[in-house]
This record gives sequence, C-alpha cells and structure tokens, in this order.
Amino acid sequence: MTAPILAYEKPIPEITDLTKPFWEAAKRNELVLQNCKTCRKYQWYPRYSCINCGSRNFEWKKVSGRGTVYSYTIIRQVVANSPAFQKDIPFVVALVDLEEGVRMYSNIVGCKPEEVHIGMSVEVAFAQVTNEVSLPKFKPTASKG
Amino acid sequence: MRGEVAIVGYGETPVSRARVDKGEQRLTAEEYYAWAMELTLNNCGLTKQDFDGQGLGVIGAIWPHSEIWSAEIVQNLGISPKLLLRADHGGASAAALLLQSAFAIHSGLVDIVLCLGADAPMSVQNGSGLRTWRYELDHLIPYGMMGPNSMIAFVMQRHMFQYGTKREQFGKISVAQRYNAGLNPNAYLRNPITIDDYLKSRPISDPILLLDAVISVNGGLGFVVASAKKAKQLTEKPVYLLGFGEKHNYSHGSIYQPDVTVTGVTQAARDAFKMAKAKQEEISFFQPYDDYTAIVLMQFEDAGFCKKGDGGKFVENNDLTLKGDLPTNTGGGQLSAGQPGMAGGFVHVVEAVRQLKDEAGGRQVKGAEFGFVTGLGGLTFGGNLVNSFALILSSEVPK
Ligand SMILES: [Zn+2]
Repeated sequence: MTAPILAYEKPIPEITDLTKPFWEAAKRNELVLQNCKTCRKYQWYPRYSCINCGSRNFEWKKVSGRGTVYSYTIIRQVVANSPAFQKDIPFVVALVDLEEGVRMYSNIVGCKPEEVHIGMSVEVAFAQVTNEVSLPKFKPTASKG
Repeated sequence: MRGEVAIVGYGETPVSRARVDKGEQRLTAEEYYAWAMELTLNNCGLTKQDFDGQGLGVIGAIWPHSEIWSAEIVQNLGISPKLLLRADHGGASAAALLLQSAFAIHSGLVDIVLCLGADAPMSVQNGSGLRTWRYELDHLIPYGMMGPNSMIAFVMQRHMFQYGTKREQFGKISVAQRYNAGLNPNAYLRNPITIDDYLKSRPISDPILLLDAVISVNGGLGFVVASAKKAKQLTEKPVYLLGFGEKHNYSHGSIYQPDVTVTGVTQAARDAFKMAKAKQEEISFFQPYDDYTAIVLMQFEDAGFCKKGDGGKFVENNDLTLKGDLPTNTGGGQLSAGQPGMAGGFVHVVEAVRQLKDEAGGRQVKGAEFGFVTGLGGLTFGGNLVNSFALILSSEVPK
C-alpha cells in the first residue's frame, strides 16, 4: 500500500462524473481514453459528445500508453499557475501524440529537460500525487535490449 | 457587402500598468469604458444620444463582476440602443464586433453602432485566481502549464523544428515593432531595443523569451461603424470595410493531432482578399494580432505574404518598420504598445483606421490605401488559436 500523500500543493483536476473512469483507471496505472461506440474514434480531453460524429455513446478503452513528443517547452518562470511549481523549475511540459491518435498535455520525466526533443518516443509513467489522483506523465521509452 | 459599411472614427485612452508608485493611474474597466466612449464620440462629432435606438457593442473583461456584463456597461454609459452586441472572442473581440455591427447595418436593423472595448487586467487585485476553461484546469494546469506562454511555446518550437526558423527571425519582429512604438506617444514601451536585447531577455517558457510576449496594460478603445452613406455624412474620411473573413476552431490536418504551425487566418485571409478583390502586394500596412512574435510570423505565411514555412526568411528579408515595404503593427502593436486585456484586438483596428484617415502623425504610412488587419482569440487544446478574423480596410472603394 502506498502511504497517504500529504500536503500536495499543486493544482489537481476536479474528478467529475465525466472523468471519473479516467482517474479510477489512472489509480490502477492504466491509461484509458474515451472511445466512440458509433465511429470508434478515440478522443482526448473527455467530452460529452464525439468531436468526429457527435455521438454521445462512449466506452473507456485501455490504450498502449506509447507516444511521441510532438512539441515541448521548458518552463522557466511561474506565470498564472501555482507557486508550488517554482521548486521544479526547469521542468518540461510536452504535447504527446499517442499511438491511438490523440494529443495529451503532460510532463516528460525520467530524463533531463535538455534531453527532451521532438519525435522522442515516450511511454506513460503514472505519478501518484494524492490518494485520488495519479497523473499520467511520460518518460523516455525503455531502450529495447 | 464590399465597401457597404465604414468606420467613422475612433478613440483610444492612454494606457497604464497601474503602477501607482510610478505615478500611473489605477482605473477600473468601467472607467475605461466611460473614457473610451467620450474620446470616440468626440472624434466622430457624435453624442451618446445618437446611439439611442441604434447599436452598441461591448466586449468581455478579464474580471467582470458578472457574466452578464453588457447589462452593467449599457446602464453605466446611459445608452438605450436597439441592438446590444457583446463579443466573446478574446483578442478577436474587436474584429468580431466590427463584423457583427456590419451584419446588423447590412440587414437594415440599425444605421450606426458604437463599438467599445476596455479592460483593466492590471487593476485586478487578488481574487483573479485561476479562472479558465474546464479542460485547462483539469488537463493542463496540473502539469504546470503556464497559460498562453507555454501554449505558444509549443507552436514556436514546432515552427523552428519544421521550417528551421531562427530565434533572431522572431526577434526581428519584436525589434521592428518597438521601433514603430517609438513613434507612438501612447505606446507603453517606447525605448528602442536591439536583437541582442531580445536574445538576452528573460526566458519564460522555452523558446519564448520575455520580448516574444505582449505586455499587459489597462486601457480603453472604441470605434463607430456606420453604413457607407451615413459615414460619408459624418466624416470626410470614412474607412471602408472592403473585405472580411472569419474562421473558428480551425485544425490544420487532423482534428485530433493538428499541425500547430498553421492558423485559421489561412481561411479568413483567403475570404477577405477575395471579397475585397485585393492582392497582398497592394496592402499598404499590416496590423497582425500579436500576442507573440511567433503568431505574427506565422500570419505572414497564412495570409499569403509568403509561402508556408518561409515566414522566417520573409521577416529577415523585409523591413517591418515604418521605413519598410510592409509596415507591420505601425503603432508598436500589443508587443510594445500594450495589450489592454480583452480589448487587445482594438489596438489593431484603431491603428488601421488612424492610418487610413491619414491621422497617424509621425508614424503615418504615406499614401496608405489598403490596410490588412487580423484578430485572433482563444487558445485551442493541442493547437493554436480558436478565433481568426481577417479584415481589409480601405480609404476608398475601388471598382
Ligand atoms: Zn464518433
């Protein structure tokens, strides 16, 4: 069992009826996405209708957790966000294009900020930040050995 | 609708960073509305009674007291219009109001509309907190995304990667606009800068440097839109709306994984040039929406001044100052003159009108005939900007 994490100072997502399955899966270290039961497209972020066909019928499907860095930034200054990020500077936020065809915002962890590059292969690495929330972050794909 | 409506005149208050310690004014958005109205009416030779039974357009504010904001402003100003418009398009709000006014005038509902934009982001104390889109709160902010700085950082990074665009090329935009600002008494930042100053400016969110980004100010601006016939009665120099285009929620390529280096200006500009029957080489000056240097650079490409990906070279090979062939953000733009919150897009429209009326003083573009103006607003999830407007304004309506 993981001990309760106290005093996490950074912003956390609000878990709603819409996003609950995502955060429940994240707690199990599983990445799931909304998949449209009508047209079978995946989408991210979670919405109430499919941005391809307008259907409201979804299921949450487990996905590979593999993707590539589409673009990234190294944060140098806290602006319009929690001062708690100050101690992490410099850190990387990236747009990660998942194999399933969606784009996510996340952090790249497990390497130095200056090692991050466009096209880099990454895989999901969950970071438990509270008892309720594990954030899907991404790390460089382990080299095949 | 080509040339059917025109802008009669404009108003622009001094701007401020509300640094009371430096002797600057600290005013509210409501006060800037009152001031912008006064200046705009005086410039047009109109009274507020002229708008009773006509049109009034206002925009959102960064921190309105209520979501129902136009109700407060219309009462504060004491106007009883037949038509009350409110634009909700961030930096594109001025262009949006102009077009909404044009449609209302075209329909015959009203003959004249007073469009006002004012905001006071620097006067917001405490409580400003984080108030943004649900998805940003849930899926961006927890990762330490720093608002527009980081979002446009992705765009700039990608442009550099895809096309080899250099930092110095983005920087040249910042330097050129600052030169223009030096000739604008109302610009907040007027001291000249060099490319070296740009490169040494504080890193915010790589590759975004401090001098890639707008400076936030308080301020209020306005303009009056009328039918061409009415405008001619009111001013010797109406500024005509010759062409326009708008596009929202544009994705280049896949809607799920768009190419972030292409904006909706591609669509809006194409429509605007077609309607105006104008060509890029006829444009006397360009007032591109400029929240960041990268967004300016991409618009040279998207509006057809050069090929996609050649924006860096275009900037390098052209003088964007008032001395050059395509003076760009002739008053310094938001990068130097300042971004008055949600009223930021008024800076571009008002400066274009001033130039086309030959009233820009020391920064007048000689013989300006066609002005190209864009308005961009909002940020998309994983893309660039939500609202794109393109306007071609002119001092005459050519055959
Ligand atoms: Zn669907």
